[in-house]
Amino acid sequence: MDKSSSQRLPPLKRTWWLKHRFFKLYMLREATVLPLVFFTLCLLAGMVALLQGADSWQGWIAFMGSPIVLLLNLVALAASLFHAATFFVLFPRVMPIRIAGHSLPDQAIVAGQWAGVVVVALLFFWLLGRGA
Amino acid sequence: MSTDQITAKRVSTNSASTKHISVKRYLPDTSTETYWQEYDLPVDDSTSLLDALNHIKEQLDSTLSYRWSCRMAICGSCGVMVNGIPKLGCKTFLRDYEGDIRIEPLSHFPVQRDLVVDMAIFLEHLAAVKPYLIGDNPVKPYDPKAPETYQQTPEQLARYKQFANCINCGLCYSACPQFGLNPEFLGPAALTLAHRYNLDSRDNGKKARMAELNRHDGVWSCTFVGFCSKVCPKHVDPAAAVNQGKVEAAKHTLIALFKG
Repeated sequence: MDKSSSQRLPPLKRTWWLKHRFFKLYMLREATVLPLVFFTLCLLAGMVALLQGADSWQGWIAFMGSPIVLLLNLVALAASLFHAATFFVLFPRVMPIRIAGHSLPDQAIVAGQWAGVVVVALLFFWLLGRGA
Repeated sequence: MSTDQITAKRVSTNSASTKHISVKRYLPDTSTETYWQEYDLPVDDSTSLLDALNHIKEQLDSTLSYRWSCRMAICGSCGVMVNGIPKLGCKTFLRDYEGDIRIEPLSHFPVQRDLVVDMAIFLEHLAAVKPYLIGDNPVKPYDPKAPETYQQTPEQLARYKQFANCINCGLCYSACPQFGLNPEFLGPAALTLAHRYNLDSRDNGKKARMAELNRHDGVWSCTFVGFCSKVCPKHVDPAAAVNQGKVEAAKHTLIALFKG
């Protein structure tokens, strides 16, 4: 019997990721880039507005304050926090840290990364407070 | 005593009941179409899926084909899909399932017959990454006064030990959508084994393996879905190994860039 004719390999459908909760979570993690693209475009527009002068800058500030843009950027913040949470858990598996022959526990690395987030956030609020 | 009586007696010792399982059948010499076949089985708390398949083969339907050998999760032969999740038949217990139990051949591999798949491409990928010690200490004639052995400290062993537990069952390939989309992707187990040898203090073959690892169908096809590590019956964590391989591959590229 011809070997190849006896075999069957159904192709993977585009909807493969709808089959299991784990794959849906993975796609959600990957999809967090979409609201972040919007936020990045906002920042880019802000830079261009700054170069164009005071009127343009005021226009951009008004645009950023509009409810729909605020909402979209809140979604972007939530998405980036969710992505960070998944990324931080994966990090010690990809780059296990060994000090003097002993590997650092995963929880310590995850905690260290969140501590980094807190430090950056505090720095940001301090800068913002000085500016005001 | 009839077979039924023996079966009834055997299962009566422990919360005996009947369970219903569906098996995806494919018999290419009679039809090119697959179909679902239903079986009712006597089960108790200790009935594994492999026990169930053996019961079907011996008592109900001798035409059913499937692979198995050790029945203790070490040979890696009895991988099947259970309700869409890759599992070892011997390590899956029917007591953990209520309602539908649907058994299919491992995903992403060509099916030869019923639950038997063709794993040739997996074996090719394994061989491609040179999964053996390369350029290790040359073996010298044995000298009882100064015995030469492969010496390795517990710390050196600990670096790769987890990745050495792979039993080549192929569950991770059935869990990997990237392998499902592109069978040329070397895949979780092969890349993990490559990483296992790259981490071995006795090995000098990293350079030889990098050519295979550091290309599109090597580590870079992995998008860290991570389901391979979830389904691995030996807790090898192939997703971690593949992504550590990405770090190594990136270093390799950078070093090659500066060396010119």
